[in-house]
Amino acid sequence: MLLNRKQSGKRWHLRPDGAPKVTGQLQYLTDMTLPDMIHGRVLRSEYPYARILSIDTSEAEALEGVYAVLTSKDVPGLNRFGIATPDQPVFCEDIVRYVGDAIAAVAADSPERAALALDAIRVEYEELTPLNSTDAALALGAPELHEHGPGNVLHRTEIKRGDAEQAFATCDHIVTETYYTPRQMHAYMETEGGLFVPDEEGRLNVFAATQHGYKDRMQLARIIGCPEEDIRVVSSPIGGSFGGKDELNVQPYGALLALRCGRPVKMHNSRKESVRAGLKRHPMKIEMQTGMSREGIIQAHRVRITADTGAYATLGAPVLNFCTEHCLGPYAIPNVDVEGVSVYTNNGLSGEFRGFGGNQAIFAMEGQMDRLAEIMNMDPWEFRRRNMREKNDPGPLNQRILVTDGLSQVWEALDRSELWQKHQHPPTDPTLPPWIKRGVGAAIAMHGAGLGYGIPDPAGGRLALNNEGKIEVAFSYEEFGQGLIATLEIMLCDLFQCSTSDLSIIIGDTDRVPHSGSSTASRSTTMAWMALQRLQSPFRSRVLAVASEISGIPADELVTGPGGIWRKDQLPAESSEVESEVQRTRKSENEEMSGLNVTVQDAELESASDPIAKAGERSGLVISYAELATQGEADEWIFDTKFDYPTTPDNMVGGHYLYTYAAVTAEVEVNTLTGETKLLDTRHVVAAGPVINPMGYIGQIEGGSVMALGFTLTEDAVMQDSRYVTTNLDTYMIPTIQDIHTNLEVEAIEDLPEGDAFGPRGIGEIGSVALAPAITAAIHQATGVWVNRLPVPREQLVRPLNVPLQEGVSPS
Amino acid sequence: MNKPLENHWTAVVNGEHKHLEIAQTTRLVDVLRTHLQLTGTKVSCEVGRCGSCMVLMDGEPVNSCLVMAYQCDGSDITTIEGLHGEEKGTLHPIQQAFVEEGGFQCGYCTPGMVISTKALLDAHPEPTQEQIETGLCGNLCRCTGYGGIIRAVRKAGERCAVKETSAEETVS
Repeated sequence: MLLNRKQSGKRWHLRPDGAPKVTGQLQYLTDMTLPDMIHGRVLRSEYPYARILSIDTSEAEALEGVYAVLTSKDVPGLNRFGIATPDQPVFCEDIVRYVGDAIAAVAADSPERAALALDAIRVEYEELTPLNSTDAALALGAPELHEHGPGNVLHRTEIKRGDAEQAFATCDHIVTETYYTPRQMHAYMETEGGLFVPDEEGRLNVFAATQHGYKDRMQLARIIGCPEEDIRVVSSPIGGSFGGKDELNVQPYGALLALRCGRPVKMHNSRKESVRAGLKRHPMKIEMQTGMSREGIIQAHRVRITADTGAYATLGAPVLNFCTEHCLGPYAIPNVDVEGVSVYTNNGLSGEFRGFGGNQAIFAMEGQMDRLAEIMNMDPWEFRRRNMREKNDPGPLNQRILVTDGLSQVWEALDRSELWQKHQHPPTDPTLPPWIKRGVGAAIAMHGAGLGYGIPDPAGGRLALNNEGKIEVAFSYEEFGQGLIATLEIMLCDLFQCSTSDLSIIIGDTDRVPHSGSSTASRSTTMAWMALQRLQSPFRSRVLAVASEISGIPADELVTGPGGIWRKDQLPAESSEVESEVQRTRKSENEEMSGLNVTVQDAELESASDPIAKAGERSGLVISYAELATQGEADEWIFDTKFDYPTTPDNMVGGHYLYTYAAVTAEVEVNTLTGETKLLDTRHVVAAGPVINPMGYIGQIEGGSVMALGFTLTEDAVMQDSRYVTTNLDTYMIPTIQDIHTNLEVEAIEDLPEGDAFGPRGIGEIGSVALAPAITAAIHQATGVWVNRLPVPREQLVRPLNVPLQEGVSPS
Repeated sequence: MNKPLENHWTAVVNGEHKHLEIAQTTRLVDVLRTHLQLTGTKVSCEVGRCGSCMVLMDGEPVNSCLVMAYQCDGSDITTIEGLHGEEKGTLHPIQQAFVEEGGFQCGYCTPGMVISTKALLDAHPEPTQEQIETGLCGNLCRCTGYGGIIRAVRKAGERCAVKETSAEETVS
């Protein structure tokens, strides 16, 4: 189904956080202030690699208005952090390993005084030669950046199947290519920051963005040396993350300063500091050799992945696992020889980023497919079909995966598309000048969701009737723009036929939500859906039983509905859509998001349409939720569930069980005078189960696509001698509204196998993983150039202008 | 022009007269966020590239991170908090269109985007695609890929145009 607002009809659900966002009323965590707050700043390393000889903070401490200056000796607990491997110092003791390394932190009564205090800290360094590439880091005799080596290797991966070497010997054609991908920056518009508030009970309240509040709480407790329960982490709403705020950033400094000073401390990174200290996508070099038979069937595939993971581990190892799993594509290949290595360098910090290593792998693998198809002189889409895995084949790691038709469905849908037809029959346009070349390309991908086998991936949630008579759900997920709150509203209204004003949705606050894992890896929609499936039945039974007891009406004649419990035959039709779109936009929202009371002062309109009031006037309402909630003890109305994200049963660390599938086609226009590539038309076909929230779905695919466009054409956080050259958004080029496609269509394939127990799949990443190879294939059709490096180097596409002199052509 | 720099700053902000004692080098974005607690105006790149801090100064869109207090002394400033529908507390047609079309996700660029759209539609009530691209190319959005934003701007343009036509009709 082509997804758009018109097609979606009543499923087009307006977001509850819409009005607060478009009016500027929504308070982000970096907007928070308190009257007695002071300002924290971090002193970061002057060098990418150096020995610290001495740190003198005395001058800074003596400055007026300075409350605290902290260094490594002021960390009461573990002076390290890292989601997977805690190897990043909160404060460096003796060695700095990248330009974002923290040495000290200050708190002062104004941001200016805090900046002055940073300048007054004297650090003596012995500069060392930075390991500015994976080659330098892997060279014999290179200094070891960490003790936990061997060498500068963070992690190695391997897939070996069959006998690749022998198979290559029998192949008729072999394509060998090396692919390079850029150091892409998340470039969320809200930089890292927040407010850190110690309270009278000695607890610390952390208001700072993250994608896994409980993990931050655990890491902070480890640093502070306190019980986790002494910390509350409020982690939502967030001004964009894309993986970039998954790891701790300002939190250790805000927390330690607040506890030291006994006052609220505000932290908010400048963009430059965000660039310097923050995560990026792993730049990778992927060498591929792929051999096929005379008939065009792939026989052997050799891959060598080298990832620049930068100074510390964070999730570098899982990213490499994911890349390794995805560098075989959705193809059945008998002989496989893959090796990956993630290498410590002094180049910034690479970590988790939407797509999680899949983007790099898929760019390379699909590049191979197009090159092989050309040798066969075969339609590249047909070439893919011949090599695609069968429905019941095991996954890329030879692990059992959930069987679906997703792959063949996206293949077929794209094959039928008008845009892809253009590839076979490129229309000629005589009005185009000779330096404008057009082409169409396509790519296909399967992308794993969840953290994978062997990695704790807990899920769960809570459903309750709260004492105000609201149906309350609580999850430890965060709203960073994806539309989670709207999706939860839709799911709940679908389940209970209630209206949105019957709901209370609580997320992103460790004091108020159960542990339901991280908002990463395209997992939260699936996890929320599965949790509600488990919770709805006991909740409904209890609600209907009590309503039956009070009313004397048999429970099987009762149903949940807007405002309360109804007689089944009197439930108003389409009750879940009680609020029309327009009412929704005009209505102000008083959602309690993230424990912050976000209110749009709009009381007049708020009372304009109250579905409970309307519902109450109708005769079929047996009892309201509010009346029900007064019955019995509060905890009798609370239902919890705990489970884990589904993984393959096979012992393959990181191996996935649920995959989503995507096919993408793109038409580009290349200007061979300037080397500029412009994306014209693009179509994403996605098979990810039912579309719960069409607005959110379209937004994720469109947003992912444009992020992938930047990855393909313009984005690279350039480093020179391990220092950032692109330090802000004026030189780091994310797409503007002028740079995007002229047209983008999203086709959603919603089928799932009968009895599927996992529901809608997350689509946060799938829109961003397969556009790059479609564009480079299109560039090849337009210009004949095989691009193996991203962002596409324009100079490779520039051609001398050779216009034959003829009538109408001026020789000048 | 030789007037000594005083710390006295006066402006009309969202229709209200404001008087502050602040250094004349204070950036407008800080005047708004810190001194007037108008945090709807966001701060992101601080070099005038991203448009998160866009406000209207005497009707023209400006990046408030690039304007110092002395440069806007005496001017008329509209921030996102100053935009509303016919009555205060209601959504402006632009804001409404952004909500209906999903012209936002994380929402952090949204106040600036809405302000730039206001300036765009004031200048071009029925903007062409090119005018939309020119008018909004100073505002970066990392979430939406601009699809929802373009749909919202078009819809807002239609609505504003309808409203203006009916207003003109009423006058005549």
